[in-house]
Amino acid sequence: MNFVAPVINYSQVLPILIVLGTALLGVIVEAFVARDRRYQIQVPLSIAGLVVAFVWILKIHATTAITAESAVAIDGPALVLQGAIVILGIAGLLLIAERKLDSSGDAFVAQAAAIPGSEAERTATLAKLTQTEVFPLTLFAIAGMMLFPAANDLVTMFVALEVLSLPLYLMSGLARRRRLLSQEAALKYFLLGAFSSAFFLYGAAFLYGYSGSVGFRQIREAIQTNAGNDVFLLTGIALVSVGLLFKVSAVPFHSWTPDVYQGAPTPVTAFMAACTKIAAFGAFARLFYVGLSGARWDWRPMLTVIAIATMVLGALWALTQTDIKRMLAYSSVAHSGFILTGIVATNKAGLSGTLFYLVTYGFTTIGAFAIVTLVRNASGEATHISGYAGLGKRSPWIAMLLSLFLLALAGIPLTSGFVAKFAVFSAAYESGSTVLVIFGVLTSAIAAFFYIRLIVLMFFQDPEEDGPTVAAAPLMTTAAIALCATVTLVLGILPNSLVHVIDAASRFVF
Amino acid sequence: MNLYVPILTIGAIGFGFAAFSIVAAAVTGPKRYNRAKLDAYECGIEPSPQAAGGGRFPIKYFLTAMLFIVFDIEIVFLYPWAVSFDQMGLFGLVEMLLFIGTVFVAYAYVWRRGGLEWD
Amino acid sequence: MSPNNYLVLSALLFSIGAIGVVLRRNAIVVFMCVELMLNAANLAFVTFARLLGNLDGQVVAFFTMVVAACEVVVGLAIIVTIFRSRRSASVDDANLLKY
Repeated sequence: MNFVAPVINYSQVLPILIVLGTALLGVIVEAFVARDRRYQIQVPLSIAGLVVAFVWILKIHATTAITAESAVAIDGPALVLQGAIVILGIAGLLLIAERKLDSSGDAFVAQAAAIPGSEAERTATLAKLTQTEVFPLTLFAIAGMMLFPAANDLVTMFVALEVLSLPLYLMSGLARRRRLLSQEAALKYFLLGAFSSAFFLYGAAFLYGYSGSVGFRQIREAIQTNAGNDVFLLTGIALVSVGLLFKVSAVPFHSWTPDVYQGAPTPVTAFMAACTKIAAFGAFARLFYVGLSGARWDWRPMLTVIAIATMVLGALWALTQTDIKRMLAYSSVAHSGFILTGIVATNKAGLSGTLFYLVTYGFTTIGAFAIVTLVRNASGEATHISGYAGLGKRSPWIAMLLSLFLLALAGIPLTSGFVAKFAVFSAAYESGSTVLVIFGVLTSAIAAFFYIRLIVLMFFQDPEEDGPTVAAAPLMTTAAIALCATVTLVLGILPNSLVHVIDAASRFVF
Repeated sequence: MNLYVPILTIGAIGFGFAAFSIVAAAVTGPKRYNRAKLDAYECGIEPSPQAAGGGRFPIKYFLTAMLFIVFDIEIVFLYPWAVSFDQMGLFGLVEMLLFIGTVFVAYAYVWRRGGLEWD
Repeated sequence: MSPNNYLVLSALLFSIGAIGVVLRRNAIVVFMCVELMLNAANLAFVTFARLLGNLDGQVVAFFTMVVAACEVVVGLAIIVTIFRSRRSASVDDANLLKY
């Protein structure tokens, strides 16, 4: 047996390696630096790592290649999504690093091992203990998210899925306030996440049994030549879809989303809502467009039904919510349906529409959750919707910014959300899925109702007597919100620049 | 039949070593009987559940077990490398050193943060 | 012995695991059922590797084992934490997050 060393083009995978390396450095900092100096080192280190990774992504932006023995594909969609994930990761990291909002420290528990309500917890809180492990954890999650849409075989995809999920399971259980809720969110997220990744893996086994390889190119060729047993193929597609649809929180695999979004610390929710969705849809698109494109007549009907169910049920459930984090969670479910519309289109416009939607959705979501961290009362964040009544009179700026994000989520013209929705719906129409477009437009109208209801509540109602107050936004949160608001507004008014970039990039390599 | 000779030889050597060890220990070892020595397992904890604690173990056993699993499972990647490292040459060596280095970072973290201290 | 039997066995194990996740109430048992599903997938990979005569499936099995071990560590940490704060590991008791 002759061994041939695998060819790895390190320059092409360098962004992922930089983020992973920074995360490892973060772990070393945790191990060897004195406790009170860790924060001052971790924050600049993490952000510097992400900035360098982004610069490198810009440097290799024209790459179209398959590297690392065809385990990783670095092409237009992968680089666009990696760039978006890194920038949104910086915004998320700024929110996670914020320590000026909560009087007792950051959004994370002083000591995760201390039992809620115990003497140990009080001691830890009084000692102003803070944990800085969240920074390396975030970076590990970001690295997994960057690898996920670039994964070109099922094993790499599975490993990336776990690398991005495991840190998120832990981070969603680390809230400083309402710790029982947070731990419960972590438990639910973990059990259901592990359940769905088992489905993904079993499906991967069947696709391997069908094609004789886990690589997407070989699976594609096997489907084209009709080489294997169709039962294996269809079982494989179904089971793998379950795993991926769970990650993008499509109906009927969405039930974890509201619970986890509500229970997790809000900065983590912001980060996870934006970046996980981008990474998961990127992987979803690559698997279905590259690996399984020959079987599209088998999976398109299934995904059409799921897209419709996701849009309709997500929007209807969002109508009934009274907690803003839960409402945004159900809105994120509905948005998964809209994005699936782009995927089901299976044409170039569908792919570029999906990518554009993901980028704009990420920025609006982080912005909206960032505002949620600012509206507070004595016990932490005031997430009940009634607390937002009259916000426009007390803090017009914050209310206007939140309205901007909500309008963008609703898809009102002159915001980025409108351009994105228009792109996916027109792609779906082009591909002949008129039913999807009709459902999409109708549910957009339903969805617009609950976003606008909140805006009306903020501007046309009087504030409650002892309602929550809006904290003066500290530097890092302000930076994150400003970034998200600028992108949302600019992409709404002048979408062309990004549309051209994404159009040029919308080709998978195989 | 000749194929089985090495296996039988190994078996015989193993049996001989075990018998020798038992006899040697019985003849030369010191005999100090105390309570811990007479436990079913010499691991420092009562093997049968206690009524008061409900048969639960201290959390430090959990930590040790988890650390063991995480570090032990890395052998899965070491083993295929170990049986063919001569063919993989420099590339295999560098990759394996990178891998071990990464695991070592985790080890350093556990060590510095007191994960290896029993009390 | 036909390799198909191993596929049937893996499908059975996977189903037992999936049913266990849905029906069992103790978080640790639920988690063990997930592990059973992962092992069923492993068995399927190894069987297919044997059927197809290439080694890819066996390599995947290694990765699955490592990922499963990492999941154990993260998952048991979460379950132990929630057990310590509630004195219960039942998934039915985790009911604060509703509507």
